[in-house]
Amino acid sequence: MTTVLVPTAAPAGTLSRHGRPALARQRAAAARAALADCRLCAHDCGVNRLAGPAGKCHAGADTRVFLAQVEVSDELELIPTYAVAFSGCDLRCAFCITGGPSWNPRLGEPFVAASIAAAARAALDRGARSVMILGGEPTVHLHSALELVAELPAEATLVWKTNAHGSAQARDLLDGMFDVWLADYKFGNDACAARLAGVPNYVRIIEGNLLWAADRSELIVRHLLMPGHVECCWRPVAEWLAARCPGGKVNLRSGFWPAWQASRHPELRGTISAAEAARADEIARDLGLNLVR
Amino acid sequence: MKPTDNPAGSADSGRAPLMTELLVLPDGRILVHSLTEPFAELLRTLNPDDEQIRPRAPERPDK
Repeated sequence: MTTVLVPTAAPAGTLSRHGRPALARQRAAAARAALADCRLCAHDCGVNRLAGPAGKCHAGADTRVFLAQVEVSDELELIPTYAVAFSGCDLRCAFCITGGPSWNPRLGEPFVAASIAAAARAALDRGARSVMILGGEPTVHLHSALELVAELPAEATLVWKTNAHGSAQARDLLDGMFDVWLADYKFGNDACAARLAGVPNYVRIIEGNLLWAADRSELIVRHLLMPGHVECCWRPVAEWLAARCPGGKVNLRSGFWPAWQASRHPELRGTISAAEAARADEIARDLGLNLVR
Repeated sequence: MKPTDNPAGSADSGRAPLMTELLVLPDGRILVHSLTEPFAELLRTLNPDDEQIRPRAPERPDK
């Protein structure tokens, strides 16, 4: 196992924005070095990605971008946001709405931090309220994400849009880097996570990461309602959020889109019904969740 | 548009093509992914009363 020293300039959660770019530059180098024995996500593959594509994500050290544009579909408090989407992901959600580039880290254009940063700065100058880094799953390309943070204005609001399946090593590298964590809590039990996304021990991993993120940044938790999964997935997620993140922001998304390989699972071949959406809303109301749009 | 057609690495973001995906359902609902500002304005024009779209496509002062 390779030990990666993580540069820190302040106690966790107290880093000022002013020092962020410089620290991000140091952390980016550490994240790149960590690819030699990659344990950035909870799969803990331990493969050498500097030598080429490897591990569950099939990513090497090179990062590609499949989308970089100003968008307004995210939470109202974050938009317009300049969204930068990295190809490649450590999960294999059958219903992934960006299936191709999410599952294939070789799709898209080569990532050039200076170019993307210039475009992001231009978007901010034109009125964008934030810069969002997403995927696929951006943790896979943590080195590139931090290289981008190092090039962005210190005062910019930075959003980390993640599946929350990262490792403790990734958390150390991310500490203090993003103002907002926009994190998915996709499945309310390990069985659904294993069947629909090929990931074991899902609940324990995600809950640990969400609690960590809530303590260090603004956390918005997203749950995508899936047909036939209101009781088995949304209810446990909602109950956990009510108990462990009371008052925390929750975005309950009802626009399930039977994309990519969703048809492999019979219950995912359609969209959310009005009855299911209403039931999910009722659960949220009964638990007193702080729903945001 | 294919994802690879988006020159996300280009420094000249002013000419980078934008991409939004729509799914129009038989019941008239429209699901949207990666909604851009121009498309939000179009959707607002089509249905000014849509409460999901209205805050994402603020009315321009000159309209």
